[in-house]
Amino acid sequence: MLFSGIPFLFYFLPAVLILYFCAPKCLKNAVLLLSSLIFYGWGEPVYLFLMIASILLGFFIGMFIDKAKSKVAKKIWLSASVLSSIALLGFFKYADFFIENFNAVTGLSVALLKIALPIGISFYTFQILSYTIDVYRGNVPYQKNIINFGTYVALFPQLIAGPIVRYVDVCRELENREHSIEKFYLGMRRFIVGLSKKVLIANQMGAVCDLFRETSEKSTLFFWIYAVAFAIHVYFDFSGYSDMAIGLGKIFGFNFIENFNYPYISKSISEFWRRWHMSLGSWFRDYVYIPLGGNRVKFGRWLFNTLVVWMLTGLWHGAAWNFVIWGLLYAALLIGEKLFVKKIIDKSKIVAHVYTMLFVTIGFVIFNAPDMATAGKDLLGMIGIGGYSLTNSFTFYHLSSNAVIFILGIIGATPLPRLIYTKLSDGKTTVKAVAVIEPVICVILLLLCTAYLVDGSYNPFLYFRF
Amino acid sequence: MKRYLISFHVLVVLLLGLSVLAWLKPADEFSTSERRPFAQFPEVSVKSVLSGEFTAAFEEYATDQFPFRDDFRTLKAIAKFYVFNQKDNNDIYIYDSQASKLDTVMKDNMIENSLQKMNFLYNSFVKGKTDKVYFSVIPDKSHTLAPAGGYPSLDYEALANRFKDGLEWAEYIDIYPYLHYSDYYTTDTHWSQDKIVDVAQVIADKMGATVEKDLTSVTLDKDFYGVYYGQSSLPLPPDKITYLTSDIIEGCEVYNFEKGYDFTTGRYTTVDKVYDMEKLDSKDPYEMFLSGATPLLRIKNPACDTGRRLIIFRDSYTSSLAPLLLESYSEVILIDIRYMMSTFVGNFVTATEFKDADVLFLYSAMILNSSESFR
Repeated sequence: MLFSGIPFLFYFLPAVLILYFCAPKCLKNAVLLLSSLIFYGWGEPVYLFLMIASILLGFFIGMFIDKAKSKVAKKIWLSASVLSSIALLGFFKYADFFIENFNAVTGLSVALLKIALPIGISFYTFQILSYTIDVYRGNVPYQKNIINFGTYVALFPQLIAGPIVRYVDVCRELENREHSIEKFYLGMRRFIVGLSKKVLIANQMGAVCDLFRETSEKSTLFFWIYAVAFAIHVYFDFSGYSDMAIGLGKIFGFNFIENFNYPYISKSISEFWRRWHMSLGSWFRDYVYIPLGGNRVKFGRWLFNTLVVWMLTGLWHGAAWNFVIWGLLYAALLIGEKLFVKKIIDKSKIVAHVYTMLFVTIGFVIFNAPDMATAGKDLLGMIGIGGYSLTNSFTFYHLSSNAVIFILGIIGATPLPRLIYTKLSDGKTTVKAVAVIEPVICVILLLLCTAYLVDGSYNPFLYFRF
Repeated sequence: MKRYLISFHVLVVLLLGLSVLAWLKPADEFSTSERRPFAQFPEVSVKSVLSGEFTAAFEEYATDQFPFRDDFRTLKAIAKFYVFNQKDNNDIYIYDSQASKLDTVMKDNMIENSLQKMNFLYNSFVKGKTDKVYFSVIPDKSHTLAPAGGYPSLDYEALANRFKDGLEWAEYIDIYPYLHYSDYYTTDTHWSQDKIVDVAQVIADKMGATVEKDLTSVTLDKDFYGVYYGQSSLPLPPDKITYLTSDIIEGCEVYNFEKGYDFTTGRYTTVDKVYDMEKLDSKDPYEMFLSGATPLLRIKNPACDTGRRLIIFRDSYTSSLAPLLLESYSEVILIDIRYMMSTFVGNFVTATEFKDADVLFLYSAMILNSSESFR
C-alpha cells in the first residue's frame, strides 16, 4: 500500500486512527502491529510470513544475546543475527544478480530464481540488525515484549521507505509515549507536506523522466532536462516519503529521526552525504565503517574501508551494476575530496556547489539507468555525443510545460520556504495570519493531492528495488 | 495547544468526512464524463486476497468510486493548466477553444499491423475483382491545431507516406489540405459533418462520383459533450451537432448487421435510417450518424438505379462522411474490422459484390497509429 494512494489515505489511515485512539494504552502497540501487518500484506500477502519470521528471529536472538552468559556466546548469537539477515537479503534481493554474473563469467546458464523482492526488506532488515548489534554492545536492553518489538520492526509509517529507525531511538517511546492535539496536528501537517512533495512535484518530474525514456525525439538539452528532473524527482519522492513517515510517527507519538536536510545546498560530496538519506549514512558509518576501523587506520586500509562501505551503499539501493558503480563513484569522489579536491573547491562557494551538484546529477543518471549501457548512453548524450541535435521543439514543449514545477522543485529543495515560514510565524504582525493561513494551505494541498490521485495520475513507487 | 485546536479539527473533519463518504457512497456503474464503466467492489476470497488480485482491484474500485470524483478531476485539471501552467492534462491540451490529444509517437508496430491488415483485405477480397481501389488518411485535428498552438504532434505527412508506400495497389486521395482544426468538434475527436463537404467532394471526384448540391443543414438543440470533454476534466462549452440531409439521404435504407441480421436466412429483419435520432440520448450522441459502431452496414439508395456500389473499410469518421457520398451509388457497404474478424469479411460481403465496386480504405491517423483493435 502506498501512502500516496486513495486506499491508504481514505480507508486504511482513518480506520487505524480511529482504532488507535479508541484503544486503551495497553493495546495501542497491538493496534499498530496488526495494522502494520495488514499494511505490509496488502500488496504481497505471501511475504507476511517473511516479515513475521524476521520479527521472531530478531526478537529471540536479541533475547539470547542478552541472556548469554559468555562473550563468546553473545558473539555467536550476534553472528547468527548478522548471517540470517544477510542470508535473507542475499536470497531475496541478490540471488539473481549473483546468478546472472556467475553465468556471465562461467558461460553457464543457471536458471534465475525470479523472486519478487519483498518490499521494504532492506529497511526492516537493517532495523533488526541495528537492534541486535546494539543489544550486543550493551547500548540498549533487549525488548521483552514481542508486540513492542514487532511494532518496532513493522511500524507502517517507516516500513517501506524509511527512515531506518534505530531501536535505541524509539525504545522508550515503544513503552511510553505522549499523544496530543498539537502532535497530531503537526504530524498531519508534516504528512500533508510530504504527500504534496510526492504527488505535486516528484510524480510530475517522474513523468518527464519516463517520457524521456520513451521518446525517440531526444536532444542534448533533453538529456540535461531528464537529469535535473530525476534529481528533483528522487529528492522530492524520497524526502516526501520521509516527511510522511515522520508525520505519521508524530501522530502516533513517535519522534523519528530526520532523513534529509536540504542535500542540494551542499558544497561538497561529503556534506551531501551528511544531508542525504541520513539514517542510511549513519547506519553504515556506525555498523560497518567504524567497526572496520573508520579513518583512524593506515591509508591503504582507509581506502579499503571507504570502498567497501560505498560499494555496499550502492548495492543496498539495488542489485545491479549501476548501483555498484554509483556507490563507487561516491567512494572515488569522497577519496578525492579528502586528498585534494576539498582544498580547491573551498576557495569558491559557487564552484563548490556547482561541482557537488554536477556529480550528484551525474550520479543519479547512473542510478536511474536500467543498465550500465543505457547509463553510458545517457552520460554521452549529456555532452552531445550520439548524434542528437542540441534541442528540438519536443524538448522546448516539455521544458516550458514543466517550467513551473522545475522552479518549484529547485526552490523547494532549498531552505528558503522554511526560512520564509519561520520568519512569518515568528513575526509579531504576521503570526496571527500564519495561524489562519497555515491550515487553509494544508486543506488546499490535501484536496489537490486527492484530486491528482483520484484522476489516477502517474504515481510510481521508487523503492521497489531497495 | 490552543493555536492548533481549530487547525486540528479542520484537518480531522476533512480527512474523516471524505473517508466516511467514500465508505458509504453507493457505487456508480458508469461514468458519463469518462464514458467508461467504473470498477466495482471486488470479490473477496482466500485466493484473490493471497494472490494480491483483491488489493489491486480494490485500489481501482476506491479510485473510481471516490466521492465527487468529477469535481476532483476538474480541480486537478485546473491546477495543472492554471496553477502549474502545464500545457496538457492526461495528454489533452486546449488551444483556441479546441481540445485535442497529444499524440507524438509514430508507433512502427501499429503502422505495420495496419498495413498488414489492409494488404490482407486487398489480397483476400479485392484483388482481381476491381481496379477502382482508393485510400485516404484522415488527420487528427492536431494536424493543424498543434503547430498553431506550439504543441508537438505526430508527423502526419510521414504517416501518410508510410501508407502510400505500403499500399501500392490503391490510389491515394489527399484530404489533408481540406481539413482545418475548426472542421472538428471542439470537445471531440471527430469532424463535424457540415464542415467536410469539401472533403467528400475531393473523395467523390477522385472516384468519379458526386456529392449532392442541395443538402439541408440541421443543427440540433441538444448539447454534445465529446470524448475530450471528459478526458480534459475542464468545464468546456459543449458542441452542437449539425447534420446534412436531403431527400436522397432520408430515403436510404440502412441494414445494420449487428441489429437485424438473421443468420439462418441471411436476411435483415430491421431497416434503419441514415440518421438515428434515438442515439442522441445515448452515451455518445455522435452515434446518431449511421447508429455508431457496428461491423457491417449496408446502405441501399432507392434513388440511384445504376447498380453502382461503394465498399468502404472504415472507422467512426466515415459514419458522418458516408451519407455525403450516397448520391452516385445504389449501395454503400461499410466494413469495420475493429468489430469483425478480417478473415470473415468474405462470409458477409461476396466476391460478386466486390466485382467492379469502388473500394475505399478510409481510416483516421489515430486508428492507424494504434491499430491493436483491428481484428
